[in-house]
Amino acid sequence: MARENSAEKNSPSIRNPSLAALLSLLVPGLGQILSGRRERGVSILLTTVVLLALVAWLKFWDLAPLILPFWLYNAWDARQLVLGRRVNTTLLVLLAALLTYSVGWRVTEIDVTQFVEGAPKIRPFVSGLLRPNYLTREIEYGEAKSPVEVPCSDNPPPLSPGPELPRITLDRPCANPGEPLEVFGEGFPPNIKGELWWENTIGDQSRLRVGREFVDFQTDDQGRFQAQIVVPQVTNENPQTHYVEARYVTHVGPLTVSETTYLVVQRMGETIAQALMATTLGALLAVFFSFPAARNLMAFHPVAILLYYVTRGMLNILRAIEPLIMAIVFVVWVGLGPFAGVLALTVHSIAALGKLYSEAIESIEPGPIEAITATGANRIQVIWFAVLPQVWPPFIAFTVYRWDINVRMSTIIGFVGGGGIGFLLQQWIRLTDFRSAGAAIWAIALVVTVLDFLSREVRRRVV
Amino acid sequence: MSGRGARSLGSTAFPIPFTHTRQTQPAPQRQDRSNVLQIRNLTKIYEDGTVALHDISFEVKDGEFLVIIGLSGSGKSTLLRCINRLIEPTSGQVIWDDVDITAANQGELRRIRRQIGMIFQHFNLVKRLPVLTNVLTGRLGYVSTWRSILGRWPREDRERAFRNLELVGIAEKAYNRADELSGGQQQRVGIARALMQEPRLLLADEPVASLDPATSHSVMKYIEQLNREMGVTVLCSLHFLSLARTYATRIIALKAGEIVFDGDPLDIDDRRFKEIYGEEAVEVEIR
Ligand SMILES: Nc1ncnc2c1ncn2[C@@H]1O[C@H](COP(=O)(O)OP(=O)(O)O)[C@@H](O)[C@H]1O
Ligand SMILES: [Mg+2]
Repeated sequence: MARENSAEKNSPSIRNPSLAALLSLLVPGLGQILSGRRERGVSILLTTVVLLALVAWLKFWDLAPLILPFWLYNAWDARQLVLGRRVNTTLLVLLAALLTYSVGWRVTEIDVTQFVEGAPKIRPFVSGLLRPNYLTREIEYGEAKSPVEVPCSDNPPPLSPGPELPRITLDRPCANPGEPLEVFGEGFPPNIKGELWWENTIGDQSRLRVGREFVDFQTDDQGRFQAQIVVPQVTNENPQTHYVEARYVTHVGPLTVSETTYLVVQRMGETIAQALMATTLGALLAVFFSFPAARNLMAFHPVAILLYYVTRGMLNILRAIEPLIMAIVFVVWVGLGPFAGVLALTVHSIAALGKLYSEAIESIEPGPIEAITATGANRIQVIWFAVLPQVWPPFIAFTVYRWDINVRMSTIIGFVGGGGIGFLLQQWIRLTDFRSAGAAIWAIALVVTVLDFLSREVRRRVV
Repeated sequence: MSGRGARSLGSTAFPIPFTHTRQTQPAPQRQDRSNVLQIRNLTKIYEDGTVALHDISFEVKDGEFLVIIGLSGSGKSTLLRCINRLIEPTSGQVIWDDVDITAANQGELRRIRRQIGMIFQHFNLVKRLPVLTNVLTGRLGYVSTWRSILGRWPREDRERAFRNLELVGIAEKAYNRADELSGGQQQRVGIARALMQEPRLLLADEPVASLDPATSHSVMKYIEQLNREMGVTVLCSLHFLSLARTYATRIIALKAGEIVFDGDPLDIDDRRFKEIYGEEAVEVEIR
């Protein structure tokens, strides 16, 4: 049946299934074309040509054999067609997809090994993210110092530990490089760890080591410790006074709000304000542009229609430019800081809201306009009483939603210098201060979630 | 005024044949039945080439209740909208009180429109606004732009709005949002809005087509009341001949943009009916 049908439609036509299969084997799709299924054949031929051209252009020769299943099945397809049997287009498409996806996989450099093996590298980042440093204890730095003569002279200065605590005492007043030296500490906070440092004659400091290990100390319940250091090499052979220093950092007092938190709150406020200013400015200007961009309001006169196309075109072009790119431009224009971000977001908001507003205007019911016009109202009254009541609910809904979007975008814009929390986040990431970065990221997530909820509520209520 | 309305509604016992009632109570304004509205050679061709009205001419006397019938697509809506120029006629004239509406400029047109009330099949209320504001918009042609926009309606207009809402029996809904009302109630708000204009002519475009039969009659009776007690000339399009027979003093039938009948409701016999609605429609109508 099918054979006869196609034979009637497109002649000349071949009726031999083996010949059709052979033709398709030589040139994919040829058998189909000649047996009367022109569209199918041309699609197969084009698919083959495009796929092979892609492979050749990218020089992915090793992938070329993946065309074979498609190629072979196409011959089978030609045979089935001539025999008037059912053909499986889905399978044909899937076989073509095999090579397509293989090429796609390689072009995008998908690398599962890297994905798995690289995972540990983000550990510091994840651990920072999991321990945002919103709270911190006040820290106290402390140190005690003792002079030591290196190398030993004939009569070294006597040991004279001062009266004030904490203090450290050495087992002898002088030592030669490479010799061990006992250090006693007292009057330190109990049960803390500390570091031992060496300060040379010109004030250079280095942390003391024994072998490759740093020498640290641990105080007991009474705030005392004992440690052994090895005197480092010195450059000057004349006896000179160096210092051994015990340093410690303690967290004292209760948990308090950290500096990071203050910064995050302050910059988050900046971000929200930035989004607020941009949304408000953008919304006002968008309202202005949305009326000429609404087809139903502008259809009354050729000049108005021209204005419609101009406004529409302008909005579309503006909308096509990503705010990130605009931010880069405005950073050059007005300098680094939140103002550049405000400008970038404003311009984008005008375009996005202008389009949405004008579509809201276009979808209003004409009935009330007709009715108000029929009462003898003038154009302003018609807009006020018949158009505005219909458009302000969607206007408000779109605007609140845009604010929500602007907050999110403003965090990104900070990365290129547009101020706000993004600016801070970007700095912390560069300084590998991941706990602070984590603090910023969680704050962004919180604010975005809350705003999303609020904007949803507002939209639910006005519509 | 509201008292009069209530009495009248109670006394209009339906289904007493309406023509009879009218003949026994001639309204004083109808003594001198001058032609207040003249339609001359009206033609409307839409931009896509549809000829919706083809060279229509007729005259309407003061105080008439003229019903326009015809199949859907026969040009009823177009005709009514050409009269107050919600649709611009392609050619022809509409003359109202010796003023050529078709020649009026925008300012004149607004002053003419404010005397012509209009009600619609889908009521065309501003859904989000309160009923009271919807009714007050009937005064827009009389109130300055600023006063109306700021909501500073004159006190007498507010009073008039409440009176008219009482007249149509929904004063208690004044502060509800318009879309909270039922269809019949919304159409009554539409009538109240038209009444605010103190119209001398009422255009009604299938005012009951989206209402159930019982509600339809209650709405039609309000329109009848305007016509008989306030002397408002009514041009009303209706889909069903039965309704038209009940309320019309005169019927014009349109078919494909042309007048195929103009005369007394009682003169529409079977043959005429078929002319207007087509051969097949008869059975449907009878059944
Ligand atoms: N805006 C329009 N553009 C083009 N044709 C229209 C338009 N409005 C109505 N028409 C056509 O004009 C004719 C009359 O329509 P209408 O006046 O709405 O008839 P009715 O109210 O009797 O149903 C119909 O053929 C309709 O399709
Ligand atoms: Mg109609």
